Amino acid sequence: MNSMKTGIFFIILVFSAVLAASLFLGPSVINPFAMDGTTKVILFSIRAPRVVVAVLMGTALGASGAVLQGILRNPLADPYILGISSGAALAAASGIVLGLSVFGTFTIPVLAFIGAIVTGGIVGILGWRRGGLWPERLLLAGVGLSFLFSALLMLLLSLSTTEGLRRATLWIFGDLSMSDWSIMPYGLLFVAGGLAVSLWRAKALNALILGDELTHSLGFSPHRERFLLFVAVGLMTAASVALGGMIGFIGLLVPHIARFFLGSDNRFLVPASAVLGGALLCVADLIGRSLIPPMELPAGIITAIIGAPYFLYLLRKKNVLSF
Amino acid sequence: MFKWSVTAMIIFIFLFPVPCRAKTPERIISLAPNMTEMLFALGLGDRVVGVTSFCDYPPEARKKPKVGGMSNPSLEAVVSLKPDIVVMTTDGNSKEFEERLSSLHIKTYVSRARRIRDLAKGIRDLGAALGVREKADRLAADYKARLERIEALKPAGPKKKVLFIVWPDPLIAAGPGTVIDDAIKIAGGINLAGRSIAEYPKYSLEAILRDPPDLIVIGPDMREQDSGSIRKLARGLLSRLRTLPVVKNHKVFYVSDDLYRLGPRTIRGIEELRRVMDE
Repeated sequence: MNSMKTGIFFIILVFSAVLAASLFLGPSVINPFAMDGTTKVILFSIRAPRVVVAVLMGTALGASGAVLQGILRNPLADPYILGISSGAALAAASGIVLGLSVFGTFTIPVLAFIGAIVTGGIVGILGWRRGGLWPERLLLAGVGLSFLFSALLMLLLSLSTTEGLRRATLWIFGDLSMSDWSIMPYGLLFVAGGLAVSLWRAKALNALILGDELTHSLGFSPHRERFLLFVAVGLMTAASVALGGMIGFIGLLVPHIARFFLGSDNRFLVPASAVLGGALLCVADLIGRSLIPPMELPAGIITAIIGAPYFLYLLRKKNVLSF
Repeated sequence: MFKWSVTAMIIFIFLFPVPCRAKTPERIISLAPNMTEMLFALGLGDRVVGVTSFCDYPPEARKKPKVGGMSNPSLEAVVSLKPDIVVMTTDGNSKEFEERLSSLHIKTYVSRARRIRDLAKGIRDLGAALGVREKADRLAADYKARLERIEALKPAGPKKKVLFIVWPDPLIAAGPGTVIDDAIKIAGGINLAGRSIAEYPKYSLEAILRDPPDLIVIGPDMREQDSGSIRKLARGLLSRLRTLPVVKNHKVFYVSDDLYRLGPRTIRGIEELRRVMDE
């Protein structure tokens, strides 16, 4: 127990250090005790919102990945495998191409969110059989829809000739640079809600991994638990895509990195994946904007470049693949 | 000695082909929007039998049969139009496509002009290859004269720092090696994004606040085509930069797409840029 306490303390320490670094380091170092007007604007309306968006997105993706790998009983599952992101991308790109502005400045995020939720709903309906969701059906429905939507997106992109359309691809690659406060409350609401449900049902998720029969005998209804967790994952992923497009790697591999250290008890794994995901995206964004100023590199690229080698190193070093 | 002189002769023949007077081709296909514009400017518009789906200027170009995109034109469509020559550019068309065409014995002309300083020579070479040398020389001379006029009238005072935004969200600026970068320098300004690594860098908002431009230019503003959607998109960006004098003093300008292609409209684009810099 004592080592667990040290572990939690350590995690909080690292996370705070990452937050502080992301806020005060960057293309220029900010001294919080000597700030002029411009520096304040940079800190409060440029850096702070993007740090918060990075944390929200990373948290959502890390936690969703851990939960999904559990409910689908598949170590290769990630939040994007359900087609949620391709649905969001298709909706957002259509909005960009058609020049829609129904929701004002929120148009693109709202369209992405709607696209994600509708896709999640379709996957849910397709994965539903005899009063519940079935892991294999969900997975295959997600993969199938994902192919369909990606193809439609490519079709849309290749048919269009306007600049705006080609720029739609930029959105798809994920962008944190334009983050601002206005959209944050909604993002926070869905991510926090989804995370709360995941933590609340973490014990049931442990049971689900063991199989439906054991879940029953441990006193949980597999169908109900899977449904609740699926909705939680859907909300978190949709919010994350709406906040900043698609960021790869975190949803798939951060839960595995957490598993190397903590084992597969979801009561610890889900929060640890969330925190690790948030911290990793923060660091990646910090590197992306500081490396070659004034140019910025997309955070999604950096995430995989620093994350993947570390994951491979762990894979080599640690003996247990405790899934 | 004899061997050497033969080798020298062969090299000479291959390196300096005698320019035989080109006959004007009857059927021309253009695989790049800027080449299409040049062909029309050279008065060859009615000989153009195929263009890409990006060729939208002059308006007559839109009515021409399409052969696909710039990077992925349809070989079949090109062949079936039976062109005498296919006009291409190194800036957007693939070398593989040119090789395919050559292997099918279809004549190609590949323009290597990428920067404003290549423009006059580019149009002269194109004219020479297509048998309209006199017209091309006249156009080239006109471009040169207009360029010199702009350069001669350096604006008074210190050089202005210009940020040319090609897309507001996420923020993409025109960087080094682009026609826009050349244009800013010719118009007597400093391109704020001119020292980036990429041609079109994703530009940092922080960097703008730390080192603000004297004027912001946003393009392309195609009002008749997409009801000024670039203005709508730019609103968010400008509200985030509202503390800067450049936004407060309304030194934000929207320009046409004249500078987006190296072609007959480029000089007009530099003139437009110069006008907004003087405002």
